[in-house]
Amino acid sequence: MTDVSIRTREELAEFLERYEGVDVSALLPLPHPYEDWADEPIPLLSESQAERIAPGPDGVAAAQIPLPKTEEERERLVAGFLEGLRKLLTKENNWTFLQPLLLSLENCVKCQSCAEACPIYTGSGRVEYYRPTFRSEVLRKIVNRYLKPAGGLFPKFRGLDIDLDWETVIALAESSYRCTLCRRCAQACPVGLDNGLISREIRKLFSQELGIAMPELHEKGTVKQLTVGSSTGLNPAGLADIMEFAEEDIQEKTGLDITMPFDVEGADYLVMHNAGEFLSWPENLQAFAIILEAAGIKWTLSSELVGYDSVNYGLFYDDVQYSRIALKHYEVAKKLGVKAMLVGECGHAHKALMPIADRLIPDELRVRTESCLVLLEDLVVNEKLLLDPSRNDFPVTLHDPCNITRSMGIVQPQRNILRKIAPRFREMEPHGVYNYCCGGGSGFAICSSLNFPDWRSRVSGRLKFRQILEAFADCIDADTKKYVCAPCSNCKGQMRDLINYYQAWNRCGILYGGLVELIVNAMVDVREGFIDWEMH
Amino acid sequence: MTGILIGGWVWFCVGVFVVGCLWKAFRYATAPVHLRWDLYPVAHEPRRDHGGSYLEEREWWTKPSRKDRLGELGVMAAEILLLKGVWEHNRRVWWGSLMFHWGLYLLTLTTVGLGLEVVGLARGWLVPMLAVTGTAGGAGTAVGALILLGMRAFDPLLRPYTSPADRANLLVLCAFGTLSAFVAAWTPGMETVARRLADPLRFRGSAMDPLWAAQMAVGGLFLLYFPATRMVHFFAKYFTYHKVRWDDEPVAGNPRLAARLSAALDFGVDWSASHVQTGRTWAEVATELPEATKGGGND
Repeated sequence: MTDVSIRTREELAEFLERYEGVDVSALLPLPHPYEDWADEPIPLLSESQAERIAPGPDGVAAAQIPLPKTEEERERLVAGFLEGLRKLLTKENNWTFLQPLLLSLENCVKCQSCAEACPIYTGSGRVEYYRPTFRSEVLRKIVNRYLKPAGGLFPKFRGLDIDLDWETVIALAESSYRCTLCRRCAQACPVGLDNGLISREIRKLFSQELGIAMPELHEKGTVKQLTVGSSTGLNPAGLADIMEFAEEDIQEKTGLDITMPFDVEGADYLVMHNAGEFLSWPENLQAFAIILEAAGIKWTLSSELVGYDSVNYGLFYDDVQYSRIALKHYEVAKKLGVKAMLVGECGHAHKALMPIADRLIPDELRVRTESCLVLLEDLVVNEKLLLDPSRNDFPVTLHDPCNITRSMGIVQPQRNILRKIAPRFREMEPHGVYNYCCGGGSGFAICSSLNFPDWRSRVSGRLKFRQILEAFADCIDADTKKYVCAPCSNCKGQMRDLINYYQAWNRCGILYGGLVELIVNAMVDVREGFIDWEMH
Repeated sequence: MTGILIGGWVWFCVGVFVVGCLWKAFRYATAPVHLRWDLYPVAHEPRRDHGGSYLEEREWWTKPSRKDRLGELGVMAAEILLLKGVWEHNRRVWWGSLMFHWGLYLLTLTTVGLGLEVVGLARGWLVPMLAVTGTAGGAGTAVGALILLGMRAFDPLLRPYTSPADRANLLVLCAFGTLSAFVAAWTPGMETVARRLADPLRFRGSAMDPLWAAQMAVGGLFLLYFPATRMVHFFAKYFTYHKVRWDDEPVAGNPRLAARLSAALDFGVDWSASHVQTGRTWAEVATELPEATKGGGND
């Protein structure tokens, strides 16, 4: 364990100075057949990158904060941060999360119950900078020292001996991107506080006040979605091409003639897919189409800007951007007059469209929303589809997306489906609402810049990868093909990167995919072999 | 004279304690309604055992809301009385913490019992019991605080996150527990204890035993700074659990909630980033896309 105190400004400065990167030899060890696995060090930023970008004290850069070069720029950064922090604590600027934020800032008893619950802290070999309370404690000290009337009174005695400078501001901003917002720490907190929320609020402060955010979330994420139509950059014309290809692909693979329905007014469901599926995992949207058609459900997709992409990265860093996208989604659904929106296999879209949006959408735009997992459970368990489970006679384990389980309580439907269609289904431990994050949550999986992907594979996904190996321990040989079912686009992206980094397809025969692919793979009406056992 | 000074001090401290706690609770209670941030398992959910929610049902909006209030009480009781969360996630701390919390619970019960005795409402069986609860409560508080103090001094996980004020607080509680245990154990008859504690509070009696004076002075000191510390979690937990983690209330069918949310949308925003239209209301900011958003980037 890296024993670093953050009590004094000197200690923090020393920490920032001597910390040069993650010690990969201290990472969480992996089980068989990875006893001899040796991680390459996480590369530091190149010289030219380091001239432009300020990384966190671990040498990793997620938010890509421009390096302030002059004293004036540094002072502006600190002043802007303090101004943003002040706004974060006002009801006008932050009614959306003020109450939970105040509660979490003011009541931490520092018992550290949360530390061992965090997959990043434990996966890293317990690096202090990744401890869930580290960033919260730094923020708390700054609030109490700089924004409270008696902040300067006995600072050392009260543990507020922290001096705010630009390096601390950058360390704090980057630290908010070393947390996947999985909220496992919050579950472990006996007082009911939420370090994940604090991370999110720090991100929000930087985004809404200083315009600093992970580019994949902001400029390449929400901004692109609001202007082009999708964070993938997919415009309506490209969407039409993809759907045409999907129809051909379905015909070729399954022998079924299916036309992708667009903008059908009054349909039972407007199906909301993460557009990442269209480009990276088209078999997922194809499987949805096959199932919905087989079940005789009247469904539709939208061709309207934003309406064909359920992604809402605002959820991870910015209330303003979140609200804009959520409103667009509901506007599209309302205009079509559908009975409900059906959220596809995307964890954060579930949370963004269902519980969070519930308190944001005005009555005139209100449309009911349902998880695809619940509908699929009904179709599978009540035998509304003809299924042959023996077609899925291979080991399957289930990854629980945090947003669907821990944050929404949708836990059993996906299990009930797997028990019905996958005879060799086994759970990871722990699972359900106590699952570990895949390590790609809160936008991490889409961040492919600089050295962040290296960090993500080695550190934030470490514990999940160990869980997967443990779940398949009885059949870990490469000849037995195994399937990690991850009903979430973001999680699938992370699974893909983990399997590639750890060479798990070649070494262990581990593949990943969604839930609907498994269902279609078992459908009697569909030609055998829907799942393509190839790593891509 | 000592009695009057101590009485005045304790009343002052009680006043600060009550006002401080009420102010904080009021601040939490009157914070604007927030977006949902529920965390499962939710205690009042009938599907609590597997961490499920009503969203597991098809067309959940057509189903009647079911809340298992008895189950919720069970979860709360296990948390308050046994510190179940600490037991499950931080067992090293649990032993000291449980002793400490139970010590404070028993001392609170003893104080209430003594109050009943003073106003003549105590039953015959209650008064002798108070010697037991007072002694055990004082000892539990003192020993628990000592254990926690030791852990905060030597445990490498806790030490970096412990301030001198944290240690001072535990020392105060250790002293208060010890003094309370002595007072309860070595005074013949709790009627005497009740009277001796009540006299200074009624500004009667000019001189006080130093042990008694110290016990009341230290107890007062604890109450004085209490509202400014994280120990307010004893009531803040109501909000963290019931108003955040377990708040799964949908807006549909709840006009009061809808009205509060509607009011929040009229709040003015003055965030400075270029993608936010500062000076507009939340409703305007969310529905109108500024030109700057089209540029994007770390603006």
